[in-house]
Amino acid sequence: MSALVDAWPQLLSGLGTTVFVLVTSAVGALVLGTLVTVARVSPVPVLRAAAFGYVQVLVNVPLLALLLLAVFALPDAGLIAPLVTTAIVVLTVYEAAYVAEALRSGINTVSRGQVEAARALGFTLAQTLRLVVVPQAARTVVQPLGNVLIALLMNTALTATVGVVELTSATNKVNLVQAQPIPIFGAAGLVYMALALVIGLGAGRIEKRVAIRR
Amino acid sequence: MSRTLRRRSTIAASLALVASLALSACGGSDSGSSAVPPSAGGGGDDALQEVYDNAPVAEAAALLSDSTMAAIRERGVLRVAAALDAPLLSQQDPSNPDDIQGFDIDLAKMLAIYIIGEPNIEVVPPASETREALLTNGTVDVVFNTYTITEERAEQISFAGPYFVSGLAVAVAADNEDIAGIDDLGGRTVIVGANTPAVTAVPEQQPTAEVVSFATDPQCVQALTQGRGDAYVQDYTLLAADAESNDGIKVVGQPFTEEAYGIGLPPNDPDFKDFVNDWLEQIYADGSWAAVFDATLGTVGDGSTPEPPAIGSVPGS
Amino acid sequence: MRQPETAHLYDEPGPRGRRRIRIASVVSVLVFAGVVALMLRQFASRGQLDADRWTPFLSWPIWEYLLVGLRGTLLAAAVVAVLGGALGVLLALGRLSPIRPLRWLCTGFIEVFRTLPVLLLIYLMLFGLPAYGINLPVLWKLVVPLTIANAAAFAEIVRAGVLSLPRGQTEAGYSLGMRRLQVMRAVVLPQALRAVTPSLVVQLVSLLKDTSLGYVVAFTELLYRAQVLSAYNRLLIQTFIVVTLVYLVVNGLLSALASRLRRRTTRTAAPIAPATPAQPGAPAVEAPRV
Repeated sequence: MSALVDAWPQLLSGLGTTVFVLVTSAVGALVLGTLVTVARVSPVPVLRAAAFGYVQVLVNVPLLALLLLAVFALPDAGLIAPLVTTAIVVLTVYEAAYVAEALRSGINTVSRGQVEAARALGFTLAQTLRLVVVPQAARTVVQPLGNVLIALLMNTALTATVGVVELTSATNKVNLVQAQPIPIFGAAGLVYMALALVIGLGAGRIEKRVAIRR
Repeated sequence: MSRTLRRRSTIAASLALVASLALSACGGSDSGSSAVPPSAGGGGDDALQEVYDNAPVAEAAALLSDSTMAAIRERGVLRVAAALDAPLLSQQDPSNPDDIQGFDIDLAKMLAIYIIGEPNIEVVPPASETREALLTNGTVDVVFNTYTITEERAEQISFAGPYFVSGLAVAVAADNEDIAGIDDLGGRTVIVGANTPAVTAVPEQQPTAEVVSFATDPQCVQALTQGRGDAYVQDYTLLAADAESNDGIKVVGQPFTEEAYGIGLPPNDPDFKDFVNDWLEQIYADGSWAAVFDATLGTVGDGSTPEPPAIGSVPGS
Repeated sequence: MRQPETAHLYDEPGPRGRRRIRIASVVSVLVFAGVVALMLRQFASRGQLDADRWTPFLSWPIWEYLLVGLRGTLLAAAVVAVLGGALGVLLALGRLSPIRPLRWLCTGFIEVFRTLPVLLLIYLMLFGLPAYGINLPVLWKLVVPLTIANAAAFAEIVRAGVLSLPRGQTEAGYSLGMRRLQVMRAVVLPQALRAVTPSLVVQLVSLLKDTSLGYVVAFTELLYRAQVLSAYNRLLIQTFIVVTLVYLVVNGLLSALASRLRRRTTRTAAPIAPATPAQPGAPAVEAPRV
């Protein structure tokens, strides 16, 4: 236990980095994922194909490979940015694919009858999406999005392998000195679980808020 | 019905296949590079082949029954934790994966000859933070990985040696003229390897320097050449080997600390430690140590061969 | 031309709509081509497109080196898939069990290990287990933490599948005199697993990508071999791009294979289409509700 107390500032700073990376890449992924989904359902075939390709590529490639590519390989081509920024960009691009998939299946769950009724009433695509599809899809999409955000939280731990000093990396450093893996890693695990719990509860709260009461 | 049967037998067959694959891997030897065959030395080091042929082999009496060395001899292969990507120290040639060359790995081969009679080694590449774990849980018998002897590490595992003395030095990008040594690093961004002595040494010497750490040496070199830091502090021999193979960096100044490499051994095994130290004395005395140095690390630097360090001269060894 | 699945969102475009779509297509193509050209120029300006940086990847020894790594990846993935899948099904059944302590135990296990990062689990086992004298061979040092993490994920997927079945199925089983476990094994699980095959495949792909963490435990797999190779030949960009492509191909094949298997074993042969009223005499399994 004293090991934890001694290392408190280090762990706290690591946790701060984790939360910062999590929040920024979550916002980025949601925005980018929405754009990709819009492209995916648009009438323009090129955009649909591009969105499809984007999602397929990113879902099938390990995040670690992308991180290594972005941090160590791309600077050889002159594309270099601060470490944390690079990590956030990679996480955003990667998770946006999963966000897009979640949004797309949400749109698909809205039954055709609803959309056809909207069209029959003369709604444009934008009005259909805004007034009919998104409110209904939101109900089914909140839970999967919550899962994507939890996966994003887990993935912030991977950035430790490219040098970002977040919670897992800080925990590892502390353990190297203190050599008490069970309490130290256990404490870090509890923190991750608490963060995931917060995300899960938040998602539940939002789901109740957007639920359509029939 | 037949479709269900066919599906069931497919599932059963694939399960059996996976199970047999897993069991064969359970046999243990799939973890690292395969054992080096006796006629090794692929990369044209005939000088070292001669050294191997003349390398000392332990007397049977020295291999006390029930001891670690007897078990290793019984097994027929020495398990070594060593890098695969350290130039001049322990580097694997991907087009010939059984061929690993360098100062550390050649000494490991000689230790294998000493115990078993053949340079049969099995290499397990460690992540820098897992070397102690690999020793304490028996995955490897020895660690030959520019493993600096420190008292903290000596609390968890044992060291034989030291077998080489070096020190931390500073490397910068080849076109950098501002930094001449550790004294110029105040307020700069300094790259260090994770879990190396530099992690504590740099803040001690330059408290205002900002320290950034990366997991492996190649990553640190890469970060330095890409400008993620102004300087890279690492062991002098590693830096010299890196600078030799990479024109983008150069070593500046002299080593500012003294670091002694030791052979990592499992803890609480004084017989094995004495055994390995005996072997070190022998290869110091008969010139094999010097020959290995000349063929590897001796190819960079000023060409002089240092004296081997005195065994047990460093706290923790 | 096959309609995209969301074509019902908008009316069939008239001539003005078609022209607008054509303009948008041309503009998008130009934008994408422009971005790609910029990137290629950036790479070329630093010499990254030179032939001598790419030709080493035409030599067999390099590929043999990488393919041995791929074999390690596939082996670890297969073992984790089988063990994690089996454990996941057991956990899901446990969580649905009427026996309260069993239910709590399984729920606790699932909730804990679903919210822990795999890297943390690997570190925990790497450093913690030796204290209890447990020494595992290298493959199992990677497989055990991955199995635990993925079993929790599989359990949730299977549980969602079981819960999505209409209650009539289980009730029919009971009314035939089957006991609870018989109903599970013969009626519920086969249908539940078929219903969630897409999610299972996604989890399988994610699992295969997780094996890249093998470098932490010094397990010979593809990404670690790529790192060693790139340290040796200093062609970082080329090596990592090549290895990324290998992962893409392998995982893409995996997904394609899985969807082909799914299409062959699903009893309803109709493609995804607007819901049609069930015909009399239709099989008991409908297209799964997602």
